[in-house]
Amino acid sequence: MDYNDIQKGETLISIKDLTFDFTLRGQTLHALRGISLDIKKGESLAIVGESGSGKSVFVSNLMGLNAQNGHVSGGSIMYRGLDLTKLTTEKDWSEIRGRRIAMIMQDPMTSLNPLKTIGWQISEAVELHRGLHGDEAKNAVYELLADVGISDPARRYKQYPYEFSGGMRQRVVIAIALACKPEILICDEPTTALDVTIQAQILGILRRLQEKYELTLIYITHDLGVVADVADFVAVMYAGDIVEVGSCNEIFYDPKHPYTWALLSSLPQLGIKGEQLYSIEGTPPNLFYEVHGDAFAARNPHPLKIDFVKRPPMFEVTPTHFARTWLLDPRSPGVEKPEHIKRLNEKYKELMKKNGESVSGREPAKTALEGAAI
Amino acid sequence: MRAVIEKCNNSSKRLTEIRSINCSKGQDTVTKYISKRILHSLITLCIVIVIVLALLRQMPIEGYFNNFDKMSQTQINVTLKQLGLKDPLPVQVGRYFVQLLHGDFGTSIKYRAGYSNAKIIAQKAPLSIEIGLISLAIALILGLPLGAAMARSTRSKFKIWDRFGTVLIVIVQAIPSAVYYLLIQLYGSEWFGVSMLFSRSNYATWILPIFSLSLGNIVYYAMWLRRFMVDEANKDYIKLACAKGVSQKKIWNRHVFRNAIVPLVQYIPNSILFTLMGSLYVESLYSIPGMGGLLVQAIKIQDNTLVEALVVLYSMISVVGLLLGDILMAIFDPRISFTGKEGAR
Amino acid sequence: MNSFADLGSSKLESSLNDELKKHVSAYDKCKDLPEDELFTPAEFDSSEAEMGGYSNYSYWKATLRAFLHNKTAVFFLTVIVIVLAFTFIQPLLPNQRSAKTIYNDPETGIQIVNRQPDSEFWFGTNSIGQDLWARTWAGTRTSLGIGFAVACWEALFGTVIGLLWGYVRKLDTFFTEFYNIFDNVPQTLVLILISYIMKPGVNTIIFALCLTGWLGMARFIRNQVVIIRDRDYNLASRCLGTSTGRIITKNLLPYLVSVITLRMALAIPEAIGNEVFVTYIGIGLPTDMASLGNLVQAGRLVMSQPELRYQLLFPTAVLAVITISLYIVGNSFADAADPKNHVD
Repeated sequence: MDYNDIQKGETLISIKDLTFDFTLRGQTLHALRGISLDIKKGESLAIVGESGSGKSVFVSNLMGLNAQNGHVSGGSIMYRGLDLTKLTTEKDWSEIRGRRIAMIMQDPMTSLNPLKTIGWQISEAVELHRGLHGDEAKNAVYELLADVGISDPARRYKQYPYEFSGGMRQRVVIAIALACKPEILICDEPTTALDVTIQAQILGILRRLQEKYELTLIYITHDLGVVADVADFVAVMYAGDIVEVGSCNEIFYDPKHPYTWALLSSLPQLGIKGEQLYSIEGTPPNLFYEVHGDAFAARNPHPLKIDFVKRPPMFEVTPTHFARTWLLDPRSPGVEKPEHIKRLNEKYKELMKKNGESVSGREPAKTALEGAAI
Repeated sequence: MRAVIEKCNNSSKRLTEIRSINCSKGQDTVTKYISKRILHSLITLCIVIVIVLALLRQMPIEGYFNNFDKMSQTQINVTLKQLGLKDPLPVQVGRYFVQLLHGDFGTSIKYRAGYSNAKIIAQKAPLSIEIGLISLAIALILGLPLGAAMARSTRSKFKIWDRFGTVLIVIVQAIPSAVYYLLIQLYGSEWFGVSMLFSRSNYATWILPIFSLSLGNIVYYAMWLRRFMVDEANKDYIKLACAKGVSQKKIWNRHVFRNAIVPLVQYIPNSILFTLMGSLYVESLYSIPGMGGLLVQAIKIQDNTLVEALVVLYSMISVVGLLLGDILMAIFDPRISFTGKEGAR
Repeated sequence: MNSFADLGSSKLESSLNDELKKHVSAYDKCKDLPEDELFTPAEFDSSEAEMGGYSNYSYWKATLRAFLHNKTAVFFLTVIVIVLAFTFIQPLLPNQRSAKTIYNDPETGIQIVNRQPDSEFWFGTNSIGQDLWARTWAGTRTSLGIGFAVACWEALFGTVIGLLWGYVRKLDTFFTEFYNIFDNVPQTLVLILISYIMKPGVNTIIFALCLTGWLGMARFIRNQVVIIRDRDYNLASRCLGTSTGRIITKNLLPYLVSVITLRMALAIPEAIGNEVFVTYIGIGLPTDMASLGNLVQAGRLVMSQPELRYQLLFPTAVLAVITISLYIVGNSFADAADPKNHVD
């Protein structure tokens, strides 16, 4: 399998106007409402949003793993000349699943078969995708176990999942994903169920392995701290739509969408001592009904009238930064940014000055998040 | 049938072997669990026998005599005393346990006066076992594939197997077996032109009772296998297996079916052992000279000691059956002995 | 999900519903504005912000809707209601015969034995000249009465014991050991023994069935309770000082409704089946008493004669209709009462 025809940083997956509906007892739920996104090879993309915003539904589409009562109702997902929305049979998908795109799930406690040994479960993938058998397969499994930082692989190979802790199980799940030698690795909230110290270890492993195996990572999370840790690009999802997408720095220091503002303002790291932590009022819209205009309008403290009427288009801020808000329209009167966002912006400018132009990647996002805390 | 048992044995052996090579610690917990479980069963068995005996002592005393009507009150009292029935219950129970340890199930009073109950049972049991094992094998051979087909078809568009199976399950489960056994006997014998009564040498007469006995189990195994498989199929690890690119066929066979069958395994020893008692109803309907018919007959003619022997045997079988089921579970499911919990019943 | 049909929440709900009707959405307010007006700031309306998550979910309404959605279940519910109603109305109808009277031919004075079903005797007569139509319905009454009594006892006693067993930790070991011992005694055996020891009769059968039936129910309830008991919201409720009784009635019982009704619905057919079985062994109800068990047994005795088969088939058909309907209705209601099936 040669993946080198597409260079690092070039578009690997291109999603256009993807809509996805669920049918529940005769009613239609619009889970995805016209998503467009490009995923670049070798980069890591974080998809952020609150529960129910459609993150998991979105990535499940890349693997054809959505529930039976759901279907793509429009748009396309182009991957290497193949439209993934057109794949229907198991045979079509078998080319993609594992082989090209692998996935790590949220809860390591339930994502391993309780009645099979760890070794069996990893070698199942090794045999399937690497064509190795017997001792060769075993050695490959040992190597994978070592890769994800599990010591004494020979002993661990024969153990059952119940003999592993949550963090160790997640390592095994990662090893299974890597056994497939995928090009793209989807991590669906891989650290949510783990405690903070283990979380850092798992993120470290993922970063290391991304380099070693030249993976394209798609990271789903609702934890912005994690985003600052791992992501090159960030897509912010709200009510089944991507409202803003950009590089990690652009999203953290120059966010444009009121929802992104609200999300960042509610970060505990940015809270002001003695003041109540900011929280977004209200609840997300019910996706059983048609959403008019900007889905966030009702919860936006400073909405425009048009936000209630017409869906904003994606406005381009920079070639990598887009946002779906009327505030970017030339006709808009402009709204003053919230306090937190202004402060973040200033911090960033300071950092840029101090370190010169060499600041790049995700490093500053992390430091500034720490620095911005008062 | 034999194939099924052998398969079970082989795979359980394989699993134990794997574990004994891997970690002696795991082996220890399994042995410890099993010995604990056996001890527990022994205690349970003793208590059950005490309760059963206490209940049985309430039986009408006519059942201890072959010619009750002709006897005077004093004669009755003398005989009762001879039988030890006038002693306090603990003494009687103690004596019974001593008897049991010698393999003595008492002597029949009316069924075959003066004949040892153990002998009567030994004569009757083989036929019941034979019929029971055949019917259980049929139940497994038909029930498990039906359950698996139903579970798989829940994912298909028309769910044909699931609908068909559900109708069958509802009919067999809802209508009392006492009633549909009758209908099977009535129409079965008419349509196939076989006798309503069992005859050992005529194998055609074996069909209806065996089919009657398996029907309940077919539906039972199909229903539970379907339920367990649907449960398993919705679990995260199946999604992960799917995500790593394992084919649907392998997922259903190696993951879903394999894991769903484990909780069913614990019922199999019990099912096998219970064939020993035969089916009370079916055997007596077809006049099969087996164990089940024996209990019904013993009750009808009021042979108390025979009833006693059969009931105690019945209880013993049920305790041993559950014990074997739990042990099988412990061997099949590595988690059980680890957490020390008894299998969910 | 937690708005069960207690008074407070239903009041709140109806007032919320009224509020909703009055509410004019921001979309309606703004949609006809001219373009330059559209790009002006709008008011933030907190009620609008809360609207999205508002759901008019009510446990009992959702249960009812899920049940009515199932056409098969509704059909069988209608069947069972009609059959039940008819069973009890039947003796009050005109021209009904008694179930116990033996009918003689007015001309010859001989008993009308084994008369085929006709316009006079709708289900025919049995081997001693009793009216099978009347006996079938009288038998249904007896058997349903037995079944219902047992089901009620099972539901009541089983639930109480199950709740205690699950909720009071100190009792857990005791009840578990108790269960492990008594579960080893097959129910059929207890049934046979009790019927053998005691005098045959309705009370004996009810007693024997009650003696063992509740065990399974209690076990079932206990497992559910243990699962629900330690959920976080119950923990929180306890921390806030809610009394055990209140937690049981408000937080636990609604979850158990489906389980209890299912067991009750199944206990009735089970009891009928057991009655048939005990009667067959010859230790059931007195033979002159009309019950489904006796009718089936009487029918069995003559079933090898094709022309008398109606004596088995009529009672069997009524019995099958009742048990199948109850089974389906019970299962469907249990499904409908499970909050997991309320997603919509």
